[in-house]
Amino acid sequence: MTSTSRALTVRWPLWLALAFLATFAALPLAVLAAQTVLGPDGFTFEAWRALLHDENLGRQAGATLQLGVAATAISLLLGGGHAWLTVGRDLPGASLLAPLGIAPLVLPPIFVAMGFSELMPASGFWPCAFLLGVAHAPFVAVLAARGLRATDGRAYESALLLRGRGRAETWLLRTIAPELLAGCLLAFLFTVADHGVPEFLTVKGKAWHTYAEGIMSRWARRAVGTTFAELQSPIVAALPFLAALGCLLWAALKLRADAPDRGVARPLPLRPLGGWRWPALLLPFAYLTAGVGVPVVVLARWALGSAQKREPMSLQYLQQSFAKAMDQCAVHLGNSVALAAGTALLVLLLAVPLARRSGRSSPRLELASALPIAAPAILLGIGLVRAFHDSWLRALGNDFYSGFGFAACGYVARFLPFAALTLTGQVRRLPVAAEEAGALVARSPVVRAFRLHLQPLAPAAWTAWVMVFVLALRELDLAVILPAANATAVRRLANAVHYQHEDWSGVIALMLLSIAIVVPMLPSLIAGRRLASLS
Amino acid sequence: MSQPVTVTDLACQRGAFRLGPVAFDVAAGGRLAIVGPSGSGKTTLLRCIAGLERATSGTIRIGANVVADARTHVAPDRRGLGLVFQDGALWSHMTALQHLRFAAPKLAEADALALLARAGLESHARRKPATFSGGEAQRLGLLRALAPDPAVLLLDEPLRSVDVHQRATLVLLLRTLGDERGLTTILVTHDRDEALALATDLVVLDGGRVMERGPAVELLQRPATAFTAAFLLGAACLPTTVGPTGRIVTPFGEFDRPGGSAAALRLVLPPGSTIAAAAPAAHAGPGGRVLGCVPDAGSFRVQVAFEDQLLHSTAAAPLVVGSRASLSLRQAPWLLPWQPS
Repeated sequence: MTSTSRALTVRWPLWLALAFLATFAALPLAVLAAQTVLGPDGFTFEAWRALLHDENLGRQAGATLQLGVAATAISLLLGGGHAWLTVGRDLPGASLLAPLGIAPLVLPPIFVAMGFSELMPASGFWPCAFLLGVAHAPFVAVLAARGLRATDGRAYESALLLRGRGRAETWLLRTIAPELLAGCLLAFLFTVADHGVPEFLTVKGKAWHTYAEGIMSRWARRAVGTTFAELQSPIVAALPFLAALGCLLWAALKLRADAPDRGVARPLPLRPLGGWRWPALLLPFAYLTAGVGVPVVVLARWALGSAQKREPMSLQYLQQSFAKAMDQCAVHLGNSVALAAGTALLVLLLAVPLARRSGRSSPRLELASALPIAAPAILLGIGLVRAFHDSWLRALGNDFYSGFGFAACGYVARFLPFAALTLTGQVRRLPVAAEEAGALVARSPVVRAFRLHLQPLAPAAWTAWVMVFVLALRELDLAVILPAANATAVRRLANAVHYQHEDWSGVIALMLLSIAIVVPMLPSLIAGRRLASLS
Repeated sequence: MSQPVTVTDLACQRGAFRLGPVAFDVAAGGRLAIVGPSGSGKTTLLRCIAGLERATSGTIRIGANVVADARTHVAPDRRGLGLVFQDGALWSHMTALQHLRFAAPKLAEADALALLARAGLESHARRKPATFSGGEAQRLGLLRALAPDPAVLLLDEPLRSVDVHQRATLVLLLRTLGDERGLTTILVTHDRDEALALATDLVVLDGGRVMERGPAVELLQRPATAFTAAFLLGAACLPTTVGPTGRIVTPFGEFDRPGGSAAALRLVLPPGSTIAAAAPAAHAGPGGRVLGCVPDAGSFRVQVAFEDQLLHSTAAAPLVVGSRASLSLRQAPWLLPWQPS
């Protein structure tokens, strides 16, 4: 970093962002770790030994890992396949299908599970892996598409001329391997951390349990007399797991950082699918049908009264469902939207200084700001509760803990890495020389920061805002744990479907879905931006 | 108002690379080119003058002000400099007009438009750089640097990303605007033609060290080092040995050692300093394979592969490409050390 860019860096937003990460991401996890050894029944070597021989924990860990690997393989197949077939291919409708790769991300995984459980018995291992694989495939699809778009077409053509089509495709696959790996890692992390889908399937008859479910069930039983050691054991056992995930994340980021800057002097040429051109459409259609079509149809049928055995279903019943939904859940829906929008805004304010610094001078900061991804939401949530419940904040007479401010902080800690990584990538793509040219201009540092550093980040900032907004809107794990977030629509829905309220739940779910779709499309509708820019 | 620039014993450490110590000065309104191969440290030197790098030691003065020394590091925007970057380094989100008005807030819109018109960019005023050609982008980069009316203009290989057809236009614009304002200009480049088109004085840099400096005409006519001859003139530089009598032995014969020189010497053969002719079958003297032969004002310019170097020679008659040519000296040879002792 040059002395000029050092001088230009406005430090206090960076310190604020680091302080936030320390308080709402590092501190809760540190408190969890400390309580496992310092609590009233603090963990001893004996307790660790007992834990290693706990068959129940072992089964849960095994099931979680198997589920993670299987679901990630399905994400790779569907998401990676979708990107591979729609970016730079002569697949019919590729330009329309390619940006839709991100579409399943707008649906909370539990909606996908609800949809499929209507169609088939979904309590087995493979149906569960399939549901989670479909729900998290967009991570692979989006990153693989980005890798393909960032590949210089001339390099591909060189491989094509030298070694033929097959080897050129292999070369291309190797070239985008860092993006594929990063996408798979995200899919894996979200799968193993998800407790909503496995828990929902338990209601449908599932007899095996995952680690996240174990933590959640112990947490839920804490009020009815579970001992401290019993309560702690899944958390203690999760800590090495968390460390391993952190290492994986580090490896994925390092791989991406070490990948040479491929440039985009020329996009990939249109690669012919030959005789597979029409049959290949099956994969994107299967992916989008499973990820969006089936859940939406089922939710729409619920709203029309299918679960209440209304035959024939009618628009009149839909109106009733809508009225019930507004009566039961309008406040929750408002809370969800406000919390998601506020979270996304706060995330941006904190992510920009982190991205500026990690993109220009401190690559290690990228890892530090990405680490909260590795923490399963449930652990982060429990850590937040442990760190802030009965804390000094309450002693100050401030009910911060129960308010939406605290919930927003938890959400921000969880989703900050996504925005930080997106913006860091954009900062790296902006030429340093253009900023240095600004250093010679006699303007105040604030004007320079706004006009030359922030303005070029605007498109990426919008993308990051949308991503965090959508993820926060569909977040269930933290919503279950943080007090104020209990009053969000997703949390309400997860409860309501257990009590035969599918009719108005379907309406709320579809409204959530509409908001998640319409908001990202606003700039496209207003300014005519290409939808692909979001994916 | 133009200002002189004085650089004294400037050194800068950048990773394993060390620049300097370097010293030179440019009079007010003077035009200096810092030339050298890639990695010689010329861009680092320019960035130190601009304040984008902090010098390890030495002093930089602009006019009467010390802008960098052991205790001082004046911020780039307070040095009164304009800098034109290699590839324009334009702000992709601003229009051409916004570039000028951001660089010089006091510049009225009409004046900014007039400035754009001087560079033939009036029709581009409301356009963003993505639609500009390389030459247009570089012209805008120049206008951006000139808009705040700097005392000194720094140019970092300004013609590098410009195609050959637009170079003349840009050179003319640089010279016209620079001369009108009496600007002190410091240019870095690895291109001899670019240096000679834009500067009257040269500093030749290699490996972070100054090899030679002086007026361009003098350095071209009588370089003091073989490196300068090779870099500026494209001369072939052949190694020599010292014979038993103390004379310098070269492929073209033995020569007396130039007075005052104790260093190892090279035989420097600038283009046109040798005569090539078709080699007879039993030719044993200096010669090589003909790589190319083109007519040139009554004679022929011939490229000959000689030892491991490419020799630009002259021939009275056309030579067949691929045939062998004999070589002889056309003038007294230059025997020069590779670098200053």
